[in-house]
Amino acid sequence: MNRTLDFQDLRKKAIQALDNRVRIITAGLGLNELRAVMRGDAPTEKPNPRYKVHTTSFLFHIRPRYYEKGSTIFAHTFRLGFFTSFFFFVELLTGLILMIYYTPSPAEAYDSILNLMSNVPFGKMLRDIHRLGAEGMVIFTVLHMLRTFLTGSYKKERSFTWLTGVVLLGVTLLLSFSGYLLPWDQLAYWAVTIGTSMAEAAPLFGNEANLLLRGAPDIGAGGLLRFYLLHVVLLPLAAILVISIHYYKVSREHGISLPASMEEGDVPAEVKKNARQRIDFIPDLFTHEVFLVSLGLFAMVAGVTLLGYSAPLETIANPQVTPLDTKAPWYFWWLQGMLKLGDKSLMGIILPTILVLLLVGVPYIDRNPYRSLYKRPFAVGIGILSVLVLVVLSYMGLPQYGIQTPAATRIIQDLVPEEGVGPLRGVPYEQLSAGIYEVGESVPRDLCPSLDFGCPDLTAVFREFSERVNFAATQEDLQPFERLPDAQAVMVIEDWQTDLKKITLRINWNDVITGDAKSYEKHIFLHRERVHE
Amino acid sequence: MNRIQIEISLGVIFILLTGGIILWYGINEEDRMAEFTRGQAASAIEVGAALYETNCKDCHGPQGEGVPGLCPPLNDKYFFTERVDEVGWSGTIEDYIVATVSSGRLTSTRPDRYAGQGRPAMPPWAESYGGPLREDQIRNIAAFIMNWQATAPDRSQEPVMAGPPVGTDITVELPEGNPALGEGLATTKGCAGCHISQAIGPGWAASGSVPGVGARAETRYSAADYTGQATSAQQYLLESIVNPNAYVVEGYAANLMPQNYGETLTAQEAADLIAYMLSLK
Ligand code: HEC
Ligand code: HEC
Ligand code: HEM
Repeated sequence: MNRTLDFQDLRKKAIQALDNRVRIITAGLGLNELRAVMRGDAPTEKPNPRYKVHTTSFLFHIRPRYYEKGSTIFAHTFRLGFFTSFFFFVELLTGLILMIYYTPSPAEAYDSILNLMSNVPFGKMLRDIHRLGAEGMVIFTVLHMLRTFLTGSYKKERSFTWLTGVVLLGVTLLLSFSGYLLPWDQLAYWAVTIGTSMAEAAPLFGNEANLLLRGAPDIGAGGLLRFYLLHVVLLPLAAILVISIHYYKVSREHGISLPASMEEGDVPAEVKKNARQRIDFIPDLFTHEVFLVSLGLFAMVAGVTLLGYSAPLETIANPQVTPLDTKAPWYFWWLQGMLKLGDKSLMGIILPTILVLLLVGVPYIDRNPYRSLYKRPFAVGIGILSVLVLVVLSYMGLPQYGIQTPAATRIIQDLVPEEGVGPLRGVPYEQLSAGIYEVGESVPRDLCPSLDFGCPDLTAVFREFSERVNFAATQEDLQPFERLPDAQAVMVIEDWQTDLKKITLRINWNDVITGDAKSYEKHIFLHRERVHE
Repeated sequence: MNRIQIEISLGVIFILLTGGIILWYGINEEDRMAEFTRGQAASAIEVGAALYETNCKDCHGPQGEGVPGLCPPLNDKYFFTERVDEVGWSGTIEDYIVATVSSGRLTSTRPDRYAGQGRPAMPPWAESYGGPLREDQIRNIAAFIMNWQATAPDRSQEPVMAGPPVGTDITVELPEGNPALGEGLATTKGCAGCHISQAIGPGWAASGSVPGVGARAETRYSAADYTGQATSAQQYLLESIVNPNAYVVEGYAANLMPQNYGETLTAQEAADLIAYMLSLK
């Protein structure tokens, strides 16, 4: 009898001690309460211990205690802001690990990326995720901005939130852009060379701005180090600071706005009341967030494995060789498009500055008190128009648009681009049967009848070559630079070394205007074991 | 189930799936890294081949065969097996290539056979020695040169010929030629480097208004400005190979084409080459 009593006593004491420990760690939730949270049951004590966490824990203190029910509707926010922050944390984490393997100097940067991919287990996956996260963050930031614009959530007391948002948009784009240079490949080098050359066009202090960014007239060791430090120190610090401010405004001050349809006009009191019901952070919002994080992680990991997203890596940066098609990262194509329309300092500096000012000014320019889409046709119209203009400008920013590359160069460059794979490099090595293949009026059904299975891929590439040359040779209503009168074209494949072929593409033609004989040719080498992504 | 329970269950499933994918990825990681490493070696060779072509070909030959009197071959057995011992180099042959190419060579070690440009015999190539190439580019060229090792011909003996040389008499009776074999010879004998993939000599393939070499040969020997002895297309082509200066094609300098094919080609090889050229109209 005594013994059992003692035992029960001990058990009680132990549970109590455990409960105390747990309360200290969870900043206020006891064992029973934790269990209730996991089950989604009502609080077990009074006053609600779940609110206490928000005052005693630092991490929870910056989270909201509750959101109003109406504002948590999925189709109101699409969780875009949430996922933007999710991507940011993914970037922080993967970035910190990548830093271990990266050396910011022109002599070693590219090699350190190669080493990461060839020698570090999961190195390629990390790099792919970091790249995917960066692009995701840009996409989601822009969509999030669009959403807050369309729901009119930038009005009145939320205008400062919008302002910090605009700063975050800038920080996000700069983070992406500064990271772009770090692999030190041709893609990076030339995109950033073009990007920074815009600074040069700034009135008054253009030269100084350019020098400050690049560290020298051209990007070199100095420029790379500067971009590295921007990317890993200054910009992340700025992002953490401003995201905190932005988020604090939302979580602790104004909450997320309610959908206009539950707030504006004559909404039945019943609906209003329902919309204002509190949804507590613990457990509802918190489990929802954990769920979204696991979804996000799954999507990213599946993206870089099952769906095959992979961060590009071109040949090592070469300041002496300007690629034929230089291309900014896609989120700056609109700027490249604008640059084609006019003067560099007008289109590259002055107009973008005005655009930023307009964006900052949105809450102050738009004095319309309503938030519903239907009551602000003008603002919504402008929003849609801006998106369309951005898309069109981006299209115009593509290297293929508005740049007159001579036909012969264009055709050969399309078949064997300087960077990336292109159709010819994609042909399986076994099909590259040595020979001289002349472009004639008709294309043979199979170029290499002597091979067991023929060479369908090589034949397809040769057909494309022939068709484009014949088109340029025979169509007389094309522009002069697109024409190749009397064209003769040939593709030569030679066995060059063990497992190495040399391929020559050549086009001869007579100049449209002068009638002089012209020729353009390109040689490439292909090795059997080359991996083309 | 309420919403919280659904979300917890789905979340657990997602985490498990993610873990599964990572596990599966990890199992294949060794292979992927090995494949990437091989791919890197392959692309080094591709890049090296292109750099060799722009920088080294004129001296060391398009296929590294060297040019007698000017530059040593880089593709023969002697170079890969004995050269480092001969010069007393203690490292590997690949290091020897990188070091030699980086710093160039002030005076030739074999001035009687390979004098190069004189002084320096070979200019330095690395940026750190005042040359045009980066270190990684030189390593790529070395990778390309090393890729000759597997097929390096042994030139310590006189090349074994399958028969007596054709000589320089263009009236000899040639055996029946096989154009398919001729196409292969065009590469192995070095003709392609000047006539097909590059335009150092007149192109063989038809181009623009100029017909192919086969068609040109048919009319050339009867043209007014023709200075050689040929009386048929076959003879003209044979003459162009074994005695190139008998008639020098307009627009090209004499002596560009090697003068000794009469001694290095057999009658059969010459016939195959001619049959191949005649097929290019
Ligand atoms: C001006 C002509 C010239 C050019 C161009 C040239 N070389 Fe050389 N190279 C020479 C001469 C001459 C030698 C010295 C031969 C000797 O010392 O016996 C040499 C020696 C070498 C050797 C050492 C060979 C041996 O057997 O010791 C290597 C390897 C080499 N060159 C590679 C290259 C590469 C790679 C390039 C292109 C980047 C190149 N060379 C361009 C003339 C040239
Ligand atoms: C180093 C470069 C070079 C190499 C290697 C070379 N040639 Fe030539 N070849 C020339 C040049 C230059 C000409 C034009 C000048 C002349 O007629 O000598 C020419 C002319 C010819 C002609 C006359 C062409 C015409 O249009 O009438 C023939 C035929 C020819 N070469 C065949 C060959 C064959 C066969 C080989 C290989 C066994 C070969 N050549 C290797 C440079 C080269
Ligand atoms: C790094 C980039 C950004 C992050 C991490 C971020 C994060 C967030 C989060 C988590 C919310 C809560 C609501 C939601 O999830 O949608 C929010 C709300 C908000 N954000 Fe952002 N944001 C970013 C950029 C921007 C930008 C570019 C703008 C606009 C210029 C913006 C304007 C707003 C506004 C106005 C709200 C309040 C919305 C409401 O109350 O309905 N944010 N932000």
